[in-house]
Amino acid sequence: VTEAVVGDVRPLAAVLVSALAIPVILALHRRQNLREGATIVTALTKLTLVGSMVPGVLDGTVYETNLGTFVQGIGLTFRADPLGILFGLLASGLWVITSFYSIGYMRGLDEHDQTRYFAAFAASLSTAIAVAFAGNLVTLFIAYELLTVATYPLVAHDETGEARAAGRKYLAYTFVGGVAVLAGTVLVFWLAGDTAFAGGGIDSLATAAESDPALARLAFALLAGGFGVKAALMPVHSWLPDAMVAPTPVSGLLHAVAVVKSGVFGIARVTLEVFGPETVQSLGIGLPLAAVAAVTLLTASVIALRQDNLKRRLAYSTISQLSYIVLGLGVLSPAAITGGLLHIPAHAFMKLTLFFCAGAIHVETHTDDISNMAGIGKRMPLTMAAFAVAAAGMAGIPLLAGFVSKWYLLIGSVAAPETGSAIFAVALLVSGMLNIAYFWPIVYQAFFESPGASGEKPLLSGPFGGLAAAGVFDGVSADDTVRADGGTDDDHSAEDHHERGDHPEEHHETGDAHEDHHDGDDAHHHHGGPPEDGWDRRDWTGGESTWFMLGPILTAATGAVALGVAPVTFVFLRIVQEIVARTGVMV
Amino acid sequence: MTDAIVLAVVVPIVASVLTLASGLVFDRSGWYVAALACVTELALAVWVGLSVLGTDTGRIAYKLAGFDTPEGIELVADGLSTPVLVLIAAVSLAVLVYARRAGPRGNAFYTVYLLLITGLTGVTLTGDIFNMYVFLEITGLAAYALVASGDSTRAAHASLKYLIIGTIGASLFLLGAGYAYVATGTLNMVDLSEQLAAAGYTSRLVVAAFGLLVTGLLVKVALFPVHTWQPDAYANAPDSVSAYISALVSTVAAYALARVLLTVFTPDFFAAIPLASDAVVAAGTVSIIAGSVLAVLQSDIKKMLAYSSVSQFGMIVVAFGLLSQTAAVGGAIHLLGHAVLKGGLFAAAGIVLRETGARTIDEYAGLAGRAPVAAGTVAVLGLSLVGVPPSVTFVGKWYIAVGAVEQGVWPVAAVILMSTLLTLAYIARIIERMYFAPATEPSTATESEAAVSADGGDSVVSSPEKTRSVSVGMYAVVVLAAIAAVALGLLADIIRTAFLQETLQGVFL
Repeated sequence: VTEAVVGDVRPLAAVLVSALAIPVILALHRRQNLREGATIVTALTKLTLVGSMVPGVLDGTVYETNLGTFVQGIGLTFRADPLGILFGLLASGLWVITSFYSIGYMRGLDEHDQTRYFAAFAASLSTAIAVAFAGNLVTLFIAYELLTVATYPLVAHDETGEARAAGRKYLAYTFVGGVAVLAGTVLVFWLAGDTAFAGGGIDSLATAAESDPALARLAFALLAGGFGVKAALMPVHSWLPDAMVAPTPVSGLLHAVAVVKSGVFGIARVTLEVFGPETVQSLGIGLPLAAVAAVTLLTASVIALRQDNLKRRLAYSTISQLSYIVLGLGVLSPAAITGGLLHIPAHAFMKLTLFFCAGAIHVETHTDDISNMAGIGKRMPLTMAAFAVAAAGMAGIPLLAGFVSKWYLLIGSVAAPETGSAIFAVALLVSGMLNIAYFWPIVYQAFFESPGASGEKPLLSGPFGGLAAAGVFDGVSADDTVRADGGTDDDHSAEDHHERGDHPEEHHETGDAHEDHHDGDDAHHHHGGPPEDGWDRRDWTGGESTWFMLGPILTAATGAVALGVAPVTFVFLRIVQEIVARTGVMV
Repeated sequence: MTDAIVLAVVVPIVASVLTLASGLVFDRSGWYVAALACVTELALAVWVGLSVLGTDTGRIAYKLAGFDTPEGIELVADGLSTPVLVLIAAVSLAVLVYARRAGPRGNAFYTVYLLLITGLTGVTLTGDIFNMYVFLEITGLAAYALVASGDSTRAAHASLKYLIIGTIGASLFLLGAGYAYVATGTLNMVDLSEQLAAAGYTSRLVVAAFGLLVTGLLVKVALFPVHTWQPDAYANAPDSVSAYISALVSTVAAYALARVLLTVFTPDFFAAIPLASDAVVAAGTVSIIAGSVLAVLQSDIKKMLAYSSVSQFGMIVVAFGLLSQTAAVGGAIHLLGHAVLKGGLFAAAGIVLRETGARTIDEYAGLAGRAPVAAGTVAVLGLSLVGVPPSVTFVGKWYIAVGAVEQGVWPVAAVILMSTLLTLAYIARIIERMYFAPATEPSTATESEAAVSADGGDSVVSSPEKTRSVSVGMYAVVVLAAIAAVALGLLADIIRTAFLQETLQGVFL
């Protein structure tokens, strides 16, 4: 592949455009429509800027903005190369969708501090694109840390004790990760004298790694571990489920796309363009990384089974899915890399759809717990249909985004040079089944059950190991067995029913969502769940919510389908192939 | 051309006398004389900077009264002292603008303030070790007086403590200078560096001189465990004074330490006595950790910021003690950056106190709603202090960490990197409270003032503080500090290539 580096201001412009929007958004705090208009215009400008570079990048051009030396020997450079454009295009494209959704969501709930929310969102996107286009490890670190700072206000947005605790945890985890990344960067700079990304790895680092493999391994461990915090690798994942206290658009774009993917993206940069696949292989550090990923993706899937809060279940699903990507980067066969990288956009489209659905359900019915969602397909048919499509994609059903990437991952794991890599293929298949196990009940009960008549979900609510095992060894009847989440087996919905029976005036509020648009005060202390007489039926023409939310949901779902049906035409697979070609791994 | 160097010392001391004299005639002339002097000082500093840039060697010297060195005293502007000189001039002007509304007022204050500028400038520019002691004493005495200008008894108490400990430090320094003189018969720094080598680095006199000089300066820098004067002094001084001395007094002492380590004793000394370097690095490392832990334990904002300085100066001392050029660059950058940050934070804390009466971390709850600009600057300055890139702290830390790795002192490298988290531990508390905690009523019971002001009604206890106004100039100062915190990080490489590089290369040949 011939590569031409062209000086161009667009990478920097794409970063700065949303940063420059922040003062505008803050200044317009009294005029909501103009303020949101500014967000939309900025998002579109950003997408245009990034999109305009895609054809060139596919032709082997690298656009670079060089701002001069930052610290001795290291420049502040932003460059749009294939890997950067993959993440940049994804984040900026989905920001447009999320901006519309945010308007529907924030106004639907009549949230406080919306100006701060939109400003912080713009800052987050600015830094996310900076992560994408960073031309060396130090610039990447700058963007990575600023992304932490910019997203913190969004995590703590609720200003409740829980939100503040989640924010603290988020800061603590990500800053510890940041310190590890910085330490790794210092080591790389010391070993190689350079930190600029290069397809196939930094040459001088490969040489240094030969003479001092132990230090090189330490550097890799620090970098992968540090980025792994945001990639929610176990055991440093627990900030992510807690961060679900954030407004749903934040969970959607940041905690399924921008923030967590910045961690994954960092790992991709480190394995492919700092160390390079060859050095990673010769140091023998790919396999441990893949093993951590495999353990994470299985464990997280199992934990996801037991989450009754929809967003928390989605969070654990995210943890699991992110590890697919890391797994591909650890296995390092060309197909595995392709699958892993393609899973970045694939997971993004699917998970964004799922989060948007969860948010729409929250806004319209104030329901957060899955156990209260039986029959909700009647109330929100389009939303739940999109949910079903995205969930199927997660499980890897053909013709959807998840299938293509998982296919490549499977092929790649089987074909990997290291013996024993095939076990990763088994892990992938098992995880696929677990995906079905935790998504299918949601879809099934939404469409085929009703609040009064929902059956048991033995796989989700029964004790692990089966009823008999629990009964025999604990000497208690299965009904009393303590559940993993601390509640008891079946009291949840019954209790809710009871409460609802005592307070009939609450139903009225939950029942008619459109009233809540006007007084959102009660939104926070609602129990949610169906009204007493069951969900009312809405038709399939969008009566269930506003188009500010339905539009983004359907767009994201369409993206998930498009990526499954035509991954090359939909550009992402072509970008991924370009990246793999640059790494020098034989395709 | 070299006249600007001597003028930079002469202008403030003359202005100091002028302030006093004109005060006899005009009641309110003090601020104007001081302002004129500070503007002149800044112009002189820039002039010196340009002159240094214009030379090949990156060093210009002025021989006082025409006496030749080593007998005479010379004032030297080189790549290390010039940035500090510009810093002093800029901060002096900024704090003067701040103090116009924030006080303390009166010609006596401005007189001592200008005297302090003289001391700081002198320490920075002198090339003579005894002369350095003289200017250190001028600095110290002026600083004691300024701390005492707070009107509470606690300020007087803090000042007394500062005076006693500071004098001990200065005396140790003087003793060290004496030992060095006995060993070599010279006081000129450059000459000393040669004569010390001639006298033999392992000679007891030389080692004793080193120990005394460095210990004396570490007291002035306020390193743990000889920091005890510093939190009281910073916390009880008037806001303008806390901002000024936190920005410059320890900074200039740390600069003097760098001079003693690098110019007087030189890396050759440390090669002969490795323990000396290890001791300095160890002292700094302990201070990084201890200062941070103590800062986390504070509930009073100014105390917390003061202990934070103990920690940050630990890092600066480590940087110069590592004897690597990379680390020394980092130390110099962190020295400049920390001065701007800490001065800005103290100034912002002063604004918050005047606007809302909040002085403890808990009282900062919901500050973003009550004083958005002040809260914003505290957030930016705080995050910069943590070392979020591209702030100046990050750049300094980067060089120091790379230097530590180069020297192979892994534990120190680890502590320097971890210091980010230690700083975050106390900064994040404030930011979280300012933005995400519900506002609490400024408490009437937590402070001793509640008892003092028992003559008023309970509901208006804190209102005298609330009514104190904040000038645009005060806001401009802290906003500028916040901008500088980030801008200096982006421009640090210019400072490195233009000034630091050449001088430090001369040291680490």
